[in-house]
Amino acid sequence: MTMDDQHIDGNGIAGLLGEIAAAEMTSVLRTCQSCGDRRAIGEHRAYRAAGVVLRCPSCEDVALVIGMQETRLVVEWRGRYEIER
Amino acid sequence: MARAAVLGGLRRLPWLTATAREIVVETARVRTIVLDVDGWSGHRAGQHLDVRLTAEDGYQAQRTYSIASAPEEDLVRITVERVEDGEVSPYLAGELAPGDVLEIRGPVGGYFTWSADEPGPLLLVAGGVGLVPLMSMLRHRAAHGSAVQAHLLVSARSADDVLYRDELETLQPRGGLRVARTYTREPPPGWTGWSRRVDAEMLADVSPGQGARCFVCGPTPFVELVNDLLVAGDHDPRDVHAERFGPTGG
Repeated sequence: MTMDDQHIDGNGIAGLLGEIAAAEMTSVLRTCQSCGDRRAIGEHRAYRAAGVVLRCPSCEDVALVIGMQETRLVVEWRGRYEIER
Repeated sequence: MARAAVLGGLRRLPWLTATAREIVVETARVRTIVLDVDGWSGHRAGQHLDVRLTAEDGYQAQRTYSIASAPEEDLVRITVERVEDGEVSPYLAGELAPGDVLEIRGPVGGYFTWSADEPGPLLLVAGGVGLVPLMSMLRHRAAHGSAVQAHLLVSARSADDVLYRDELETLQPRGGLRVARTYTREPPPGWTGWSRRVDAEMLADVSPGQGARCFVCGPTPFVELVNDLLVAGDHDPRDVHAERFGPTGG
């Protein structure tokens, strides 16, 4: 099985994203720091293991890393996120 | 007051208590769970909820499921396919009985949603249990009495694998609604329709035309294929909304 078979997308981690941000995150537009494409978080590829890695659907560079520990989430954001108020 | 309001707005989505009121057997591997959720705030068609199970030793497992019911319904339906070796789905689609209680939070998601006051037409493409969030949209369309043109293509292995089979025949309003099927493994006897994987010709036939809002849901390889075909078939990528679920679920 390739990595491609294993991913879902940003829609499948909407609840987890809700623990991090006050906004509804799957419709947030992110501009990739790597390829410059502007796509909704729901379109990003989500790879789940001990945590979650979200990748740009165009170039597959890392968009968001969420490390899940028992009492905290450790989050690393990359790129530009446009969040509706 | 202002500060309290702001903090209220930032409050985390709470875990809610949901009681299973009814279990509907959809196919050999798939069940619908009808939930009475204490404090449910309502949802939009296409949204999900998270289910959390806690074992006696405190171990917790959490999964995301699409909501199958229309926003207009009092009870919340999720439709769950049993994933062998899964942590959550064998319980939900197997052992769970009416009266049992679950922890849920939601609704979540806003990207893969449709509301009857938004314009159409709609092109809905489902692979297997990917029909679930699309069914919420069609039930919402029915409850709203919306005449928005909605064309649904369901890809399933056999007729026995098609969810909501009877309801698909009776959905209202029929005007503007088209339900097409393709059977990828075992078409029913006498079937003269499609019996192959979704391809460009099939999508061109079912599509209500350029400018349709497309919602595609299914296993990841299915969604990638249909998404590429739609974009190659002159649908604007911004009109194509996809939702994938993979083998990492369960």
